[in-house]
Amino acid sequence: MSSANPPVNDTATMQRMEQAQSMKAIVFRQFLDHRLAVVGAVIIAFLLTTALCAPLISALTGLSPESQNVGARYLLPFQKAVIPSDQREIAMEQWINAHPGEAAVLQKALIERNLATGDEEEALYDVVTRDIVEAKQGLQAIRDLPGGDELVKMSQGWERFHVFGTDEIGRDVFIRLIYGARVSIGVGLLVAFASGMIGFLIGSLAGFYGGLIDAFLMRVTDALLSLPIFPVLIVFAAIDLNKIPWLSSLIGGEHESIFKMVMILCLFSWMTVARLVRGSILSLREREFILAARTLGARDRTIIARHLFPNVIAPMIVAITLGVGESILFEAALSFLGLGIMPPAASWGNMLNNAQEVIYNNIWLAVLPGLMILITVVSFNFLGDGLQDAMDPKSIRR
Amino acid sequence: MLTYILRRVLQTLVVIALLSYVVFTLMALMPGDPVEMMIASNPKITAEDIVRLREFYGLDQPAWKRYANWVGTISQGDLGYSRTYRVPVMELMGPRLLNTLILSVCALSFSLLVGITLGVLSALKPGGRLDSFFSVFSFAGISIPSFWLGIMLIIVFSVKLGWFPAGGTQTIGMEGASWYREFFDRGWYLVLPVMSLSIQQIGTFMRYARSAMMEVLRLDFIRTAKAKGLSRGRVLWKHAFRNALIPLITIAALSLSNVFSGAILTETVFSYQGVGKLVYDSIIANDFNVAMVSFIISVSMVLMMNLVADILYGFADPRISYS
Amino acid sequence: MKYLWTCLAMSLALPAFAAPDNSELKIGISQEFENMNPLIMSMMATTYMSRLVGRALVTLDADNRWVPQLAKDIPSLEKGTAKIVEAGGKKKIVAHWEILDKANWGDGTPMTCADFAFAREVALSPTVSVGERETFGLVEKIDWDPKTPKKCTFTYEKARWDFYQLPQFYPLPKHVEGPVFEKYGKQKEGYEKNSNYVKAPTTPGLYNGPYVISEVKLGDHVTFTPNAHFYGEKAKIRKIIVKLISNTGTMEANLRSGTIDMVSSLGLALDQAIAFEKKAKAEALPFTVLYTPSSTYEHIDINLDTPALKDVRVRKALLHGINREDLVKALFEGRQSAAYHFISPKDPWYTTDPGYVTTYRYSKRLAQKLLDEAGWKVGPDGYRVKDGKRLSFVFMTTSGNKTRELVQTYLQEQWKQLGIEVLIKNEPAKVFFGETTRKRKFAGLVMFAWVSAPESNPRSTLSSKSIPSSKNGWAGQNISGWVNPEVDQAIEAIDLEFDAKKRLQYAHELQKHYTADVPVLPMFYRSDISVIPKNLKNYRMTGHQFAETNEAEKWTLE
Repeated sequence: MSSANPPVNDTATMQRMEQAQSMKAIVFRQFLDHRLAVVGAVIIAFLLTTALCAPLISALTGLSPESQNVGARYLLPFQKAVIPSDQREIAMEQWINAHPGEAAVLQKALIERNLATGDEEEALYDVVTRDIVEAKQGLQAIRDLPGGDELVKMSQGWERFHVFGTDEIGRDVFIRLIYGARVSIGVGLLVAFASGMIGFLIGSLAGFYGGLIDAFLMRVTDALLSLPIFPVLIVFAAIDLNKIPWLSSLIGGEHESIFKMVMILCLFSWMTVARLVRGSILSLREREFILAARTLGARDRTIIARHLFPNVIAPMIVAITLGVGESILFEAALSFLGLGIMPPAASWGNMLNNAQEVIYNNIWLAVLPGLMILITVVSFNFLGDGLQDAMDPKSIRR
Repeated sequence: MLTYILRRVLQTLVVIALLSYVVFTLMALMPGDPVEMMIASNPKITAEDIVRLREFYGLDQPAWKRYANWVGTISQGDLGYSRTYRVPVMELMGPRLLNTLILSVCALSFSLLVGITLGVLSALKPGGRLDSFFSVFSFAGISIPSFWLGIMLIIVFSVKLGWFPAGGTQTIGMEGASWYREFFDRGWYLVLPVMSLSIQQIGTFMRYARSAMMEVLRLDFIRTAKAKGLSRGRVLWKHAFRNALIPLITIAALSLSNVFSGAILTETVFSYQGVGKLVYDSIIANDFNVAMVSFIISVSMVLMMNLVADILYGFADPRISYS
Repeated sequence: MKYLWTCLAMSLALPAFAAPDNSELKIGISQEFENMNPLIMSMMATTYMSRLVGRALVTLDADNRWVPQLAKDIPSLEKGTAKIVEAGGKKKIVAHWEILDKANWGDGTPMTCADFAFAREVALSPTVSVGERETFGLVEKIDWDPKTPKKCTFTYEKARWDFYQLPQFYPLPKHVEGPVFEKYGKQKEGYEKNSNYVKAPTTPGLYNGPYVISEVKLGDHVTFTPNAHFYGEKAKIRKIIVKLISNTGTMEANLRSGTIDMVSSLGLALDQAIAFEKKAKAEALPFTVLYTPSSTYEHIDINLDTPALKDVRVRKALLHGINREDLVKALFEGRQSAAYHFISPKDPWYTTDPGYVTTYRYSKRLAQKLLDEAGWKVGPDGYRVKDGKRLSFVFMTTSGNKTRELVQTYLQEQWKQLGIEVLIKNEPAKVFFGETTRKRKFAGLVMFAWVSAPESNPRSTLSSKSIPSSKNGWAGQNISGWVNPEVDQAIEAIDLEFDAKKRLQYAHELQKHYTADVPVLPMFYRSDISVIPKNLKNYRMTGHQFAETNEAEKWTLE
């Protein structure tokens, strides 16, 4: 950074340079040098926070990923929509059930003030199901009474602003993108970590024991690596896991499609890590500290977990980071083909599922989710690249 | 050398055989069979019809038995019969295989051309402005969902601008026309699919070309060549590039697997009549014979390319021996 | 290169719509097609095209009437051209069909009774994989006098009033296909693999419609040219190309670029059509978008074995809780109509008489009252509970069908407002139809559609004998598992009833039970949509499975 060419007479700098730096500090400093990686990390942090705060954002904005509005389909970005009258009616009913006393007073007042006609019990419903402007006016007129203020506040939520517009059934695209981030990035992270672990296990077994085990495991790895991944994924995604009894009990329920997706992707993405780990362990195996551990009577699994794992963690982190991006892409592609995450759960891929059919109705429905995928995957790839540069012992720059 | 090739061929065949069995059983795990599809589309089918048809297609037998039967007919040179199109698989596959080959080869050569050129250019001045721009570009290329890029290309170039067809393989009635008109017509339909299929490979090739080139440029013989007073272009292309090419051969052959995988999505997005789309369609429609054959053909092609890559590598680099 | 630039220049010069004329019409379809063998084909797109090249004895026309095509007249008991006979203690029908004198195959060979008998022989052969044999099996035998080869006597195995409805009894050209069947008929699948429809599909002798096929490219397009030996009026359009554009999203781009001139009824989704219609109006494009209510009935079957759904009050609440009129208006802009029961409004059997049909008007509060009565009380989380169990069920349909998914999410939200938890689980069509519905493996609701011809017996969908189970080999489409003895009786009686008035009575009876018991939630009737060039005349959509191509010879572009 700025200390790349320090003036020699600067004693403070000299001192700092002479001080031994911890590995972590070096890695961190080098990572900061990779500007794009830093940008990537910031974007990822932002996306992750947003995804984690999805329920909070939903509560704050009053938007929900599942609430629809058939009166406002295919809205372009930056437009307002009014929620349909039946939803207003239901909201009213819930309020009345919660506040029966106040409601009775209000309803009476409505009739008395000639704001509503007919049955007293129906007065509030009558008001709220009118045209939005009238409904608001009606509630405004009883604001002075107890509970009236609350209702006026409630009515403000009936008009919704859609930053990114709405989809084919009037759901807000913005909030769906946020919930989609949870699924898409979640699947990506889960797959990358899980397959990283599988890869480590297989790689270390092969590297540590060598011989027949190694030969067998590596043949399998090579065979899987050489397959055209997509046709294979389609076959797997198309099979019905319920036909395998022990699996169906494991993954049943609402999120079945998400679990299935994670499992399938894990099956085919551990190979890179496995080869990487095997390579490192082959060389580590012969080193003195392993010999020392063994002489001290350490068991194989202790050696693998305690001594070998910390030594291969750096390349694994890089591989896992790059794997996240790849998994997100695969998830998106499978969901795009209709073989992935099932509605109504939103994922960026399934939001694109009918993108081609809607480009004439609302072009943004096709553009935005893809853009999110692109941004996220690019960020993870930059991050991975930055980590690789920073952690590669050969490239340590002092 | 010969024993090495033989061993590899044998290995590849074993992988294909194993894989075909695995996939066959997996497909048996797929819900629904052709008869069930027929029932769904025709409420008038009776219980007797169902029993008759299931027996007819041999669906009442266990998976391994069906696999054995299938291998039996395949080895006689009969690829079977498509339940969806109701034609022999052979007739269905031929033209589509050719179409996919054309698409893949075009995409591969285009991405090699662009990727290597850009990679070499950025290796000339590492850290320069051009290099950082290309680096962002290559990252974007690797990270972009190719099917989405395809949709975006359709929106821009065929819906908004109307420059290229939105999908398809060629204009009807072009087949009888003169060969160059047919040629250009096909090319016209290929532009967008090739672009969307190439983008990821371009990114990959750029990165590999750049690092390979940088490695070579650091070597002594380059310095010697420069010291001899050879022209810059000569040093670059004659000496450095030729040496950087060796690792690229492998990468290129290996990436055929990626191109082939990607072709499924590209062909689906652009309604291009190729094997990739056939793999997808036949799996979705439960067209057993077609799914198996097209799957195995695509896998074999990729595995064979890997083999060719290894062998080529041996020829390109005399230091490697296969004893 | 020059050509390249010409192309560029041409495409830049959009939109210069050249109105199509009678020299050529290019039709876009979005569904795959197979070979054109009339006995083997099962895909919608093939059926669509097959009517350009082949006709049957009778068909249902655009006005929902049975009309003769290859036959001179439809035999009937009144005219004396058909009669009921007793043979071996069973009632049978003998009918006289006479083939048109002018009915020929595309190579000029006259069509005779032998071609029908041959079709029957092939269809019933154990080595040929014909999907549905019922049509052919109903006819016990076909006789004719060699001196009058066009006068056929059909003997039917049962005395059913609808014996003359043989729209799928296609003739098969014996002079072309006979040798193939003789040679390969013994092998399993030998005939269909070697049939001329596969090996030489451009042989004119295979076809008898207004057109013959001059080129086939599977998965891409089929080219049709007029048949010189057609029995009816000569086709006006000199070349029809049906082009497959499997991606409906690009259908519009193809229409605009002139790759196709029109979109068939197997093309656009409703949403796309509505969007396109608006743009076509705004930009004054030379296209008309046509909507025809069809007999495709979208409905939600309830698995009556699900404990919560056994209670008819819950089922009624489900219906009261949804606003079908609003749904149709909001989602389809009124282009499709809400359904009250399984019979389509175009069917003579249709009724809305409140004496028979119970209609369920939209009322959330009525629905809630019914649920309260049934013992399902709203819990603290807003969902209804009874005996500690939440009122919750799975709602399934085919994934990838946008309209259904749209309706599904809409309904999920509506029912959620009643305190009912609806879990959506969608499956690809083959899983859905192959396993889930066929074996009744669903605990809750399934949404799908079926098409039925007018006045057709709902035996396969409503009879208790048609409840799929392992005992009957999973045959039948009574997915709900509805058992109603009176319905069963009416279904059995209706086939053998020759009095139209009495049949109507039975039909009304069926509608009465159907709407009172609510084994199925009726949703809406689909509309058939097509986009045609403004100058296409005499084009009528039918709204049923016998597509508009039945009148293709009348189409003209002026």
